[in-house]
Amino acid sequence: MIMDDYKFLFKVVLVGNAGVGKTCLVRRFTQGLFPPGQGATIGVDFMIKTVDVGSEKVKLQIWDTAGQERFRSITQSYYRSAHALILVYDISCQPTFDCLPDWLREIEEYASSKVLRVLVGNKIDREDREIPTVVGEEFAERHNMYFLETSAKESDNVERLFMQIAEDLMKQARSRDLPRYDSNTTTIDGKTSTISDFSCCSK
Amino acid sequence: MHFEIMDYELPTNFDVVVVGTGIIESIISAAASRIGKTVLHVDSNNFYGGLSSSFNLESFLKLNIEKRKSICMEHSSLNDTETFFPINNSDFTLDEVTHQWNITNKNKNYSDEENSAQEDIIAKEICAKKWLKDDLLKESRKFNIDLTPKVQYARGDFIELLISSNIARYSEYRSITRVLTWFNNTLEVVPCSRSDIFANNKISIIEKRILMKFFTSLDDNEDLIIKDYASKTYKCFLTDKKLSKNLIHYILYAISNSTDSTLCLEGIGNTKKFLKSLGRFGKTPFLYSMFGSGDLPQEFCRLSAVFGSVFALDQPIHGLILEENSFKSILIGKQKIKAKNFVLGLNLTPDFFLNKVKKKFISRGVFITNKSIMDSDNEPLTLLLYPAENDKNPCTVLELPWLSSCCPKDTYLVHISCNQINNPEDDLKHCVKNLFTLNEDFKAFKPLIFYSSYFSIPTNSDENVNLHDFNNLFICPGPDSELDFVTAVSKAKELFLKMYPDDEFLPRAPDPEEIKWDGDEEPSDIAQ
Ligand SMILES: Cc1cc2nc3c(=O)[nH]c(=O)nc-3n(C[C@H](O)[C@H](O)[C@H](O)COP(=O)(O)OP(=O)(O)OC[C@H]3O[C@@H](n4cnc5c(N)ncnc54)[C@H](O)[C@@H]3O)c2cc1C
Ligand SMILES: Nc1nc2c(ncn2[C@@H]2O[C@H](COP(=O)(O)OP(=O)(O)OP(=O)(O)O)[C@@H](O)[C@H]2O)c(=O)[nH]1
Ligand SMILES: [Mg+2]
Repeated sequence: MIMDDYKFLFKVVLVGNAGVGKTCLVRRFTQGLFPPGQGATIGVDFMIKTVDVGSEKVKLQIWDTAGQERFRSITQSYYRSAHALILVYDISCQPTFDCLPDWLREIEEYASSKVLRVLVGNKIDREDREIPTVVGEEFAERHNMYFLETSAKESDNVERLFMQIAEDLMKQARSRDLPRYDSNTTTIDGKTSTISDFSCCSK
Repeated sequence: MHFEIMDYELPTNFDVVVVGTGIIESIISAAASRIGKTVLHVDSNNFYGGLSSSFNLESFLKLNIEKRKSICMEHSSLNDTETFFPINNSDFTLDEVTHQWNITNKNKNYSDEENSAQEDIIAKEICAKKWLKDDLLKESRKFNIDLTPKVQYARGDFIELLISSNIARYSEYRSITRVLTWFNNTLEVVPCSRSDIFANNKISIIEKRILMKFFTSLDDNEDLIIKDYASKTYKCFLTDKKLSKNLIHYILYAISNSTDSTLCLEGIGNTKKFLKSLGRFGKTPFLYSMFGSGDLPQEFCRLSAVFGSVFALDQPIHGLILEENSFKSILIGKQKIKAKNFVLGLNLTPDFFLNKVKKKFISRGVFITNKSIMDSDNEPLTLLLYPAENDKNPCTVLELPWLSSCCPKDTYLVHISCNQINNPEDDLKHCVKNLFTLNEDFKAFKPLIFYSSYFSIPTNSDENVNLHDFNNLFICPGPDSELDFVTAVSKAKELFLKMYPDDEFLPRAPDPEEIKWDGDEEPSDIAQ
């Protein structure tokens, strides 16, 4: 991976039932807005935002499910090489919470065991809460995840969610002295090739 | 409004319904979605890829090869003008699957043989780690075992398509470290680059010059070649060029992946393809996708979904409904879903269309071993093109180290494939015997097989499959025995252009930075 203006690039993926607000969370964080309409987002693969962690520039590449969650048909490759995984439910919708174990099973199966996992209860601006905060907290604790409640609509905790992730991943990256890609595989032939038109830049 | 996943119903009206998630279906799905068509993409399996899929070890051991049950249809839901074509095709599935373990759960196997401490030390040197069956099973998730392994030419049509359509961003590749051939009963490295050729000590200096000259001369005299060798074999051409036996072997069986009967022009085409792909991403012309070939169909499905397709796996797909002379709808569960066009994978095509289709098979072997077939300083990713022998077909051997993310550290995953003659085990026997051992035979230095599996993959390159009278039905052939996806790409493109003759096939998808957001409207620059 060749870095340009940033030093670290992390892939963050969101999962959770349809309608819990994944797309809204991403757009709130990357674009600072809450889309009023409900239209499916067409043609958007992932969104990018570069943030500062201490003195470092960190680029977050945030992936949304492309609607494949609706019928439980997310491609395995979606989870690959994810550094952080945000599992979202809707605090005003019990079924989205009840599905969490199914999501966890899928994550266990396809994502790296080292992936940073965060549980997010979204839509705390709503009056009709069905999942008390403590229930979410307990679930997260039981499954070794961070926990945060957010509102994409009111912009509560959204910045904090992603910044926390960026900071944690930075810490991990530092303590591991960076993952293997620049150590072990020094020979050209063993290197991962990122395919692009021009060989000098990528992503 | 609150939903539960189970409550969702599929929408019931589409431009295209794609059935099956093999590579060709997936490319067509992405292409249709990309030009703004509404697409429903379903599969009866609960995984992507069909016969092009990859599995972890546990799932691979459990591979469900149950024949599809014929599903009865309540004909009451049909009216007089409708005819029902059930999808109950049971022929195009895996066949003859066997699994064999050559290691047990106890260490006994090793220590009982001979108790000499010295032997133990040698053993340690040879295989860094002693694996037990349970150890491998514990690492199940680290395996990505392809049903149909593929490598891609760095400048082949598949990679070019990934780049031109911007799908390349979904996947990571590793270049194949070396290409080998089997020559005079031993493994030989096939010289790929100019420096390889000059470093090779098996061919003389004169041969080197001849070889370089041969490569550079291929572009000249094309007309002459076409005229003189139109009906002759490539082997005949190479012999006429006065190339030595050595060189003919390298060029014919490895570089051009040909056989004695390959025609001259095809052989030259293959040779050029090989040469053209050199030096783009690595030392050899080939790339292999990390996490297995099964990721490739998924990348196209992801693009398709990003442009709005509805995806649903694990669907009870019953059959198609014909009205007058075209197909009108498909029955999925209790739903009747209308579409203008239907794209079907061969394994999910009504039997009616398959009567005339010749069924052929690829013989496959999968092996987990302890080391590479040819020693190397680093952990190589090896492609061995094993020539035809006596009454055996040529075999393609792909050996993956853990760096490919297809097997755990200290193991190698080996795929062998050939066009079927008898049955997988018999077809591959000679090759397996020459490359591997089943005993911990320290002197032979051959890799030890921990586990092996054989199976047959149905294949079809039969053009007849789309010779039917229904203009809105597009049948995609199954896996082929090519090294790469070149045939799949051209088939997908052909079917797509038959369906939408005036549209562009997979134009470049915009990067996230390029997407303009109009309020909450669909981004306008990608809608066309
Ligand atoms: C943040 C991060 C970035 C990485 N980037 C690279 C890289 O650019 N090049 C590289 O060769 N290795 C990369 N790796 C792989 C990493 O160096 C080790 O392979 C991994 O930590 C080993 O873990 P494991 O063997 O226990 O396997 P697991 O616990 O199964 O973890 C392996 C996981 O690491 C990720 N991974 C593996 N290989 C790559 C890869 N090539 N690129 C991106 N992600 C990969 C995948 O998500 C995979 O599921 C990365 C790993 C992490 C965590
Ligand atoms: N009140 C409230 N509504 C929200 C919030 N976040 C999202 N929504 C609404 O929830 C609905 C679904 O939001 P999306 O972001 O599209 O949900 P998704 O998880 O991406 O689901 P998909 O529909 O599958 O794309 C929309 O109507 C949003 O307006 C929030 O924080 N508060
Ligand atoms: Mg969404």
